[in-house]
Amino acid sequence: MLSLRVNLGQLWSPISAAGAAAVIFALMAGPAAAQADFEGIWNPDHPPRMGQPDPSTVRLTPAGQAEFDSFTPDKDPTLRCLMPGIPLGLVDPYPIEIVQQEHQILILYEHFHQVRRIFMDGREAPDHWLPSFIGYSTGEWDGETLVIRTTHMRPDNYMWTAGFPFSGDENTYVIERWWREGDVLQFTGEVHDPTYYEEPYVVGGRWDYAPDGEIWEYECIPEFGGIE
Amino acid sequence: MKLLTTPGLSALLVLLACLPAAAHHNGATYFDTSTSIEHSDATVVEYAIVNPHGRLHYTFTDAEGNEQEWSAELASANNLRRRGLGGEIFKPGDQLVSVTGNPSRSGANFMRLQSAEFADGTVANFSGPNRGIIPGPGRDAQQ
Repeated sequence: MLSLRVNLGQLWSPISAAGAAAVIFALMAGPAAAQADFEGIWNPDHPPRMGQPDPSTVRLTPAGQAEFDSFTPDKDPTLRCLMPGIPLGLVDPYPIEIVQQEHQILILYEHFHQVRRIFMDGREAPDHWLPSFIGYSTGEWDGETLVIRTTHMRPDNYMWTAGFPFSGDENTYVIERWWREGDVLQFTGEVHDPTYYEEPYVVGGRWDYAPDGEIWEYECIPEFGGIE
Repeated sequence: MKLLTTPGLSALLVLLACLPAAAHHNGATYFDTSTSIEHSDATVVEYAIVNPHGRLHYTFTDAEGNEQEWSAELASANNLRRRGLGGEIFKPGDQLVSVTGNPSRSGANFMRLQSAEFADGTVANFSGPNRGIIPGPGRDAQQ
């Protein structure tokens, strides 16, 4: 499944020259080549307040404060049956399934059937890429920690539905770090939005491995968004 | 009103107690969580299990004798279904002694449901650490 995993079934047969070279390469690759197995279904087990920061600690710029003060519930995309995307959906309350491929890692969300593609092959966002709720994500391994950088996010989204805004301008980006501790997948997300925030907006959450978990359909009816 | 069996009630009690403490939305943004309102002698119109939020529609007669129609918001359909709460709690025509919730900040006839009490004393509690179906004294007698 993963490119640098050693295939023991092949290596412990009479060792060929190619097999020996593969062993030497894998050993020489060392920690830099390390990566972790995140595959499977994971159930949310996020901390209180959905892993959002204490509102009193969030330092808004004057422009950000003006947006915060003008927030109304009808601006929440999820209440209009639009996907939360990034950054609002960084900490998501429904199960996810992670699929690891050679060139990308897929995060399949139950919530609004979101699909995140995290490109792992070194590519960068093409010039024509339009802003979207899910954004454009690239990743790399730092040891066994997956580091994701996301750009190209839509401006009409939010950090959190308490009204914390997100500008989505060309200076915004998100850095996530995901790491596994046994059957727990931890992550943090730093949302960089200097237009609206004096310092990065930091969230964090955790997922519990759920080998018998299920991903369900999430139909959504805007009339039941609760915007009343 | 169809009554649940004792094992069914026990299961619901456990399942409701496991509802996540963290909802997707910050409820205090939309509802005044510092206060509750209560409506007496309500009649269930509809219990809708949908996303992004379930909904209990009901009517009651206010002190002036006027019938009012209200809605109470619940967790999402996926949350309710995953915990076995897919529409078996309320049915159209059910009589409720009271419906209690946090009022909408908009002033509309809308609340976030905290609890509802049936005529037999059974309470469906959707808020706080004691969430669950709490059978009333009249429920066992009717089973």
